[in-house]
Amino acid sequence: MPLKFLMDVYNTKCIKCKGCEAICKNFNEVPDGVFRIKVVTINEGQEGQLNLPMPCLHCNDPPCLKVCPTHAIWKRQEDGVVLVNKDVCIGCGYCASACPFGAPQFRRSGAFGLDGKMDKCSFCVQPFNPKDASGKEIFREPKPRCAMVCPTQTINAGEQAELAKTLRERALEKMSAGALERLFLFF
Amino acid sequence: MIELKLSRRDFVKTATALTLLSVGGIKFGRDGHFFSKASAQEAGEGVSYVKTICIFCAVGCGIKAKVKNGKLIGIEPWTEHPINRGKLCAKGASINHTVTSEKRVKYPLVKENGKWRRISWDEALDRIAKKMMEVREKYGPDAVFFAGSAHTSNEGAYLMRKFMAFWGSNNIDHQARICHSTTVAGLGNTWGYGAMTNNFNDMRNAKAIIFFSNPAEAHPVSFFHIMEAKRRGAKLICADPRFSRTAAVSDLHLQFRPGTDIPLVWGICYEIIKNGWYDEEFIRERTYGFEKAKEIIMQYPPEVVEDITGVPAEKIRQAAFILAHNKPSTLQYAMGATQHEVGSQNIRSFAILQLLLGNAGKPGGGVNAFRGHDNVQGATDMCVLSHSLPSYYGISEKAWRHWANVWNVDYEWLLGRFGSKELMEKKGFTMSRFAVGALAGTEEFPVERAMKIDQPSSIKIIFMWGHSTPSIGDTRLVKKAFEEVELLVFVDPFLESGAALAERDDGIIVLPASTQWEQSGSVTNSGRQVQWRNKVIDPLYESKPDVWILLSLVKALDKYDPGLYEKFTINFGNKSPDEITSEEILDKEITVGSRAIGMIGQKSWRLKRQMECDYTFSPETLRAEGGPCNGEYWGLPWPCWNERHPGTPILYRNDIPVWEGGHDFRVKWGTEAPDGSSLLSGVNGHDQMKGWATNLETDYSEWLDKNMVPSGRGRARIYAWNMKDPVPVHREPIYTPRVDLIDKYPTYDEKVYGKFHYRVPILARLLQQLYKEYNIYEHFPLTWTSGRQVEHQGGGASTRNNKILAELQPEMYVEINPEDANERGIRNGDEVVVITPRGLEYGAEPSRIVVKARVTRAVPKGVVFLPFHWAGQFMGEPYLDRFPVIEDMDTKPYVYGESANTTNSPGWDPETQMQNTKSGICNVVKLGQEKELIGQLAKMKGIVDRVMQYLKENYASA
Repeated sequence: MPLKFLMDVYNTKCIKCKGCEAICKNFNEVPDGVFRIKVVTINEGQEGQLNLPMPCLHCNDPPCLKVCPTHAIWKRQEDGVVLVNKDVCIGCGYCASACPFGAPQFRRSGAFGLDGKMDKCSFCVQPFNPKDASGKEIFREPKPRCAMVCPTQTINAGEQAELAKTLRERALEKMSAGALERLFLFF
Repeated sequence: MIELKLSRRDFVKTATALTLLSVGGIKFGRDGHFFSKASAQEAGEGVSYVKTICIFCAVGCGIKAKVKNGKLIGIEPWTEHPINRGKLCAKGASINHTVTSEKRVKYPLVKENGKWRRISWDEALDRIAKKMMEVREKYGPDAVFFAGSAHTSNEGAYLMRKFMAFWGSNNIDHQARICHSTTVAGLGNTWGYGAMTNNFNDMRNAKAIIFFSNPAEAHPVSFFHIMEAKRRGAKLICADPRFSRTAAVSDLHLQFRPGTDIPLVWGICYEIIKNGWYDEEFIRERTYGFEKAKEIIMQYPPEVVEDITGVPAEKIRQAAFILAHNKPSTLQYAMGATQHEVGSQNIRSFAILQLLLGNAGKPGGGVNAFRGHDNVQGATDMCVLSHSLPSYYGISEKAWRHWANVWNVDYEWLLGRFGSKELMEKKGFTMSRFAVGALAGTEEFPVERAMKIDQPSSIKIIFMWGHSTPSIGDTRLVKKAFEEVELLVFVDPFLESGAALAERDDGIIVLPASTQWEQSGSVTNSGRQVQWRNKVIDPLYESKPDVWILLSLVKALDKYDPGLYEKFTINFGNKSPDEITSEEILDKEITVGSRAIGMIGQKSWRLKRQMECDYTFSPETLRAEGGPCNGEYWGLPWPCWNERHPGTPILYRNDIPVWEGGHDFRVKWGTEAPDGSSLLSGVNGHDQMKGWATNLETDYSEWLDKNMVPSGRGRARIYAWNMKDPVPVHREPIYTPRVDLIDKYPTYDEKVYGKFHYRVPILARLLQQLYKEYNIYEHFPLTWTSGRQVEHQGGGASTRNNKILAELQPEMYVEINPEDANERGIRNGDEVVVITPRGLEYGAEPSRIVVKARVTRAVPKGVVFLPFHWAGQFMGEPYLDRFPVIEDMDTKPYVYGESANTTNSPGWDPETQMQNTKSGICNVVKLGQEKELIGQLAKMKGIVDRVMQYLKENYASA
């Protein structure tokens, strides 16, 4: 069952409280300058302003994976989470050009401004440094904290089928609300 | 088309019922899409989770702190917390980095000979106590000013007020003065209690919401409920001078000029009255004075309002239509409405709008005042205020006798602690003007020096106990005051910027308080819900909990003033500061004496039990269904009349029994109005119970059984005869861009404030006249307003020292419209000077700040916006070098900037002395170009002369 993010900006609206950005940095110990999720704003300060949180969407057919020359990017079979093997990554940045959403991130540090490794949203299964003190890879439950803390419930995450269900529920709610209004106005 | 609609309607009719049934269950029965697995591995590693409450804003979000071997290592969303269900904003989501920040003050510090030095707790407390006694003997107890805090627990706040009562002065105040004091005056005078009437969860029941603030940035988690309301079809209206993030998600945006809230509301009320959309029955049965208000409201038709506010008449009509046809509708506001010289009147107009619509005392209705700090409601209830004793008893002899009774001390003994009986019953200095109290009689500012104060001596010691300097208006005057007094004491987890702002070589003591996660206590959120904040870890470094510091200070004073500690702690068995717990303070004193707000049933064991049984509370009604807390409302919102009462989540709701949380408008002003009409409710009206607020014996059950409210069932006053304006009328801000309206809508005359207002003289109309006479407005074409950033909180010490938040929002800026920017040759990111006429009135150079320009369409042409959280730079000069850096401690914040309130405009509310930090004037110029303007203004010496003349004429004999 593939795990997915779903940004519901139809039934609800992001208010750019940046709870997702903060909890992501906090929980995954992401260093300065790297944002695994970032809220972008279109038409700021005008009618039609739209805030949109943008993490990695864990594509079913990820372009970053296809272009990676060292096969550092891989997709977990059991849940579809796209991860990067930092031991193999050479930091070429092909993934960044291939990704339509700017998900691959590079840390700004050191003499050349980069430390060579790509970092990206891991659906909260891996912190920034994916290995513990004994060199073992850290894997945690796939429970993205950004979706858990999102006050407007714009960010939804989980299994694809479950997400579709949520959207249907919300659509039904909307329809019923609209109906009440019409009843009021016409009768 | 019609056919399709009909069939669809039939479908949804049936669907509606099903959905409404299922919404609650489905939405919240599940933890998002995730099924939490208890991690056995983590438990094995010594990881535990502590349920606690966020320390930032007043939504009162629950958070689970992740603790390993006594160390705070992270947080997890508390998905069963009834208010926030795990939802967090940027501040809450990075809270552990505030608690464990390496920028914390680690040891008690003293500044001597220009150097910071580490001292021990004993030495620090002894020095303070010695100095306090010295000042007391020389100048009297009123020479101490105590700025308390809304960031402590109820117990800490309560002890602060009690401490100053035992010290013998009313010179105590805290953030609420410059936050929601006008709410207390405005709402309290309308219907009895000055607090948010409903709660956050209840907002999901609203069919329409009108915002007079920007909750999307100031209270983001409230949007969990607001968005839920929107999904259920609620219409959102945003009244805000900026196109804020709240405006971005609203259906209608009323972009009015700062300082014109009343005409805007009256424009809406005009439409409601004209079209007969008001709730006639409600007005007849439950309110007083509608006809008198109607006369005034009818002077504000939408066209007139359009001229004053700049909001198109059509939009005002639309807003009125939406509010009247989508009931219940609720009204939300915060600082944008309160921080004006007409703040109390703004709030009154909101309450009147809701009364007209019959929205008061209903689920989904009410007036929802969103408060700023985590415990500002609690600290206000504990009245860390210069005009009242805990629970709004005031400072009359009756009030003192009541509390003396609770404290188990003689009234005469208390009286003896004060300078005189007159001083005991005289309101003290406030946060807005205490600087004048410290400066009167000094050289630098001629006018402030000429100002007389209404007490024997000026202030010699200032305590800043968890209060920030950036939030206080006129930073320059505050800086001067800090430099003038003999001793400054700062108690804070982080170095409060005031300690570095003051350019002095000695006489500063800094005590490290622990954050609220290192101490336990009760905390009241904006919706009056009292929650128990569990201690997460032991205090870090040498920091100590507030309660301990206060008790230890009393103990230190006891050395010079024998018997003080014994009297202070008599109800707690005279135990040592280490042994007295928050539980004792809450159970043995606060919930015994705080009868006027019904804070009686909130015993610590009940609060703790609720924290354990979080899952039994329905997020829809906030009521526990089954379990040990069966029937209780979350947080036992006051009034909670006794230990069996479930709390009152919605104030003034008279359609349910009092035992189930029913309530009614208070009978606070007698049973009869001056004009002879009854002030008792038309629905089962009755007077308040005799002695209900002072009788410590009763548990009110006799009255509750009869479904009677101990505070009476009265009427809400649309006409409040005891206020400066019985019905709100528009008054232009002192410095307004619309000079043509000054004479038609003048601000308050000085006489309204009386000779002394909270012990200081206040200038208002005189300044406005001078402003016009000297054409000051020609130099300052832009309207100045201030507000919040989502990443920062209050004065910003707790967030600018949090590395995640510092990265998310590293900058102070001024938002300016592209048109205004282009006219001035300013580009996005340029360093600019925001310059205002502040200071001209007391003969100083115009105040100014140097900030970055943020060119954005969010502000309309002619308005600039400044966030107020910043400190570390004063009028262009950074003062980071004055922050203590010793041993392993570096208290310099990660990010710094100019304090916006250096440049706020004068203006004080005649009811509460609220400062005006929302509507001023200014100009923005490129850095370096401000000199010309300063030169031009220097010629206006006549202003100071006129002010001096006025003071001489009126205060010569004082």
